[in-house]
Amino acid sequence: MSYLAHPVRGLRASGRIATVDLTWHAAPWMPLVDHFAVYAARGRAPRESEESLLARTLYPHLTHAVLGPRAVTWHYRVVAVMASGARGRAATASATTTASYATGRPLAAVGEFDHKGLEFALSPAGSADYLDTFPDGVDYRQGSSSPGTHWPYLHPGPADGWAGRRRHTFTLRFALDAVPTADPGFALWLTDTHATAPGEAELSLNGTRIDGITFEKGATKGSLEGDATRTGSPLKPSFVELPLPAAAFTTGENVLTLEKTAGSWHAYDAIGVFAPH
Amino acid sequence: MDAHPPNSPPHPRRRSLLKAAGVSSAALLAGIGVPGTAEAAWSGARLRDDPFRLGIASGDPSDDGFELWTRLAPEPLAPDGHGGMPLAPFDVRWEVAEDERFRRVVRRGHALATAELAHSVHPRVRGLRPERLYFYRFRTGRWTSPVGRVRTAPRAGTRPASFTFATASCQAWYHGWFSAHRHLAADAPDVVFFLGDYIYEYAITAANLWREGVTPGEGHDRETVTLAEYRLRYALTKTDPDLQAAHAAAPFVITPDDHEVQNNYADETSAYGIPPEDFRLRRAVAYRALYENAPLPRAALPIGGPDARYQRRLVIGDLATFNVLDTRQHRAPARGSILGTSQERWLLDGLRGSRTTWNVLAQQVAVMHVTDDRVDQWDGFPAARQRLLDTFADPSVTNPVVLTGDTHRATAGDLHADFADPGSPVVGSELITTSIASDGDGADTDPYEPDWTQHPWVKFYSGRRGYTLCRMTPRELTADFRTVPWVQRDAHAPVSTLARFVTEAGRPGLEKVN
Repeated sequence: MSYLAHPVRGLRASGRIATVDLTWHAAPWMPLVDHFAVYAARGRAPRESEESLLARTLYPHLTHAVLGPRAVTWHYRVVAVMASGARGRAATASATTTASYATGRPLAAVGEFDHKGLEFALSPAGSADYLDTFPDGVDYRQGSSSPGTHWPYLHPGPADGWAGRRRHTFTLRFALDAVPTADPGFALWLTDTHATAPGEAELSLNGTRIDGITFEKGATKGSLEGDATRTGSPLKPSFVELPLPAAAFTTGENVLTLEKTAGSWHAYDAIGVFAPH
Repeated sequence: MDAHPPNSPPHPRRRSLLKAAGVSSAALLAGIGVPGTAEAAWSGARLRDDPFRLGIASGDPSDDGFELWTRLAPEPLAPDGHGGMPLAPFDVRWEVAEDERFRRVVRRGHALATAELAHSVHPRVRGLRPERLYFYRFRTGRWTSPVGRVRTAPRAGTRPASFTFATASCQAWYHGWFSAHRHLAADAPDVVFFLGDYIYEYAITAANLWREGVTPGEGHDRETVTLAEYRLRYALTKTDPDLQAAHAAAPFVITPDDHEVQNNYADETSAYGIPPEDFRLRRAVAYRALYENAPLPRAALPIGGPDARYQRRLVIGDLATFNVLDTRQHRAPARGSILGTSQERWLLDGLRGSRTTWNVLAQQVAVMHVTDDRVDQWDGFPAARQRLLDTFADPSVTNPVVLTGDTHRATAGDLHADFADPGSPVVGSELITTSIASDGDGADTDPYEPDWTQHPWVKFYSGRRGYTLCRMTPRELTADFRTVPWVQRDAHAPVSTLARFVTEAGRPGLEKVN
């Protein structure tokens, strides 16, 4: 007796910041797929080995995350493993991630862009102490403040009862010797967001509204743990990067504010402003 | 008992889907135990180790037969979920006898255990005599399984003097030992109704591993999502010797709740934001793994999609009808329906048409009113509950009783015709069984108790672990809340009866017996 096994069809890989998104066609219902085995390697085609096994997923897509701020090329091989244990014909694809603004020269930065938020105050699970520790939000001064004391790992939103059900504003102050000649980049890396109410925020620089941010849905686990690189981590990191108009900067102190205007919390990996490449 | 509801339509797409799937469908059918197939005569390679380490089971007894189950797994905790079995199919022989030594074998047959169904088999035994005790076992190669016992149901038109059953639910392996199952097995009820949360999908971590003296092995540090992960979680749960003893002692009638798939799901909606197109895949593999590991009827095997049928009706002569419900797969919160239109009609019509003395619902979540914010229970579906209570109040519906799981608390209460009016007539009673192990040792009381006992209709509440043992006669239903003082330390806790309630036929409501 032999068992049928579905080939993987329609595999696509596309890169973005620190992430490659893989999608392929859903398999027919019968015979039933147990899971898809996804193999990955840098610089070469992966083999179907335990060393190259990136993940097993039931769903016909996978986000290969926590790939760091630099542009890197990954190669993939996806195989359907059937309920019987039989394995189908593999599909292959490659993609290159997008370099983050965080690879540029920092004008201001809080935390490391490393997919971990463990360096922040109250991390990894101290949200219950947030209101006592940061009753008026955050006022962080580059050069004299420190992430472990002055910037909490969670930024609560108006939906968070544990944080008073109100808007919270985080302020980052930093000094410049001169106004930039080209648009700097803003990078906000998150280890996780709330799964159903990730919320929205307003980003302003020196009192001028820059943009509204709508956060991606996360896994609601980042309030309890802060290392998205851990094997088996349930965290769902996301990234917000956008240019800041050079004209909005000033010589001397600059004030960047992030005000959470809707929804629940987001969990910080790092936040910063970077000189253009 | 009728394991298949008389008005249950066949799955219209099932046969054509099987045909379209070629070899695999044959494997599926053979694994279910269809007699007379060519494959059933085929014998696989030799097994070097005992393949019956997950035990044996029977289920859904009728007046002429029952389901049998086993799953070959010489290495139950092999990380790939296949129990240490090769891809090859294996021929499994089964025997049913009137005596424990198998001198009077009355039925025997073959089933093919295939890798497609994790080498599980589900032969349905028919042609037996009603209200008789039988013994069964399996063989493959040189290996013989333990012996199980199962009693057929009384025939329609007869009125048995008594019928005993137990209810059980919520057996989080990592929260404690299953000593309650050992005592349940010793009580040897005619049937065990398992009312959901046979497994839990959660990752097992240092924080929730309260069962002392064990390590779960590889692959349990993440939530179950793939078929392999669900299979492995069932294997872990079923390695418990007391659970195996309970299955060997009595037939189980199993209906799932949420944790067989994911906490608090409703139909194709995940409570954790998984898109419906993905959650359908999740439900399909979760239901598949449940079928592979339980003595369920074939309708419970999802084929060609994420749907399985768990609702069914079991009839105990003229004494009782048990309506086994599924309050997850068809619930539609936006429409206020916990059963779905079709199942609700099937239930309410069945209750009105029943001619048995007792009419019982075997289901998952609390029917009685507790608090409005308990939206996962029937409190979240007040209009559907009122339709049910209105039906209970119908004079043609005799002696309705609801059996419930889910809460991890032993609770007994009366069901009023209108919970907004505590002075309204009592139309039935509800017996909520506590967990086998979920939530660990527990305590006599806990912070949730006032939510329940604030109501005059709640007669009993305890946060201890255990099960509920019932004896039903034409005159009365007696329910013993059996509890164990601990589950975390070891499996040796003694059992005691914490409370006994009696409901007299023709007189709705619970009376506590000292």
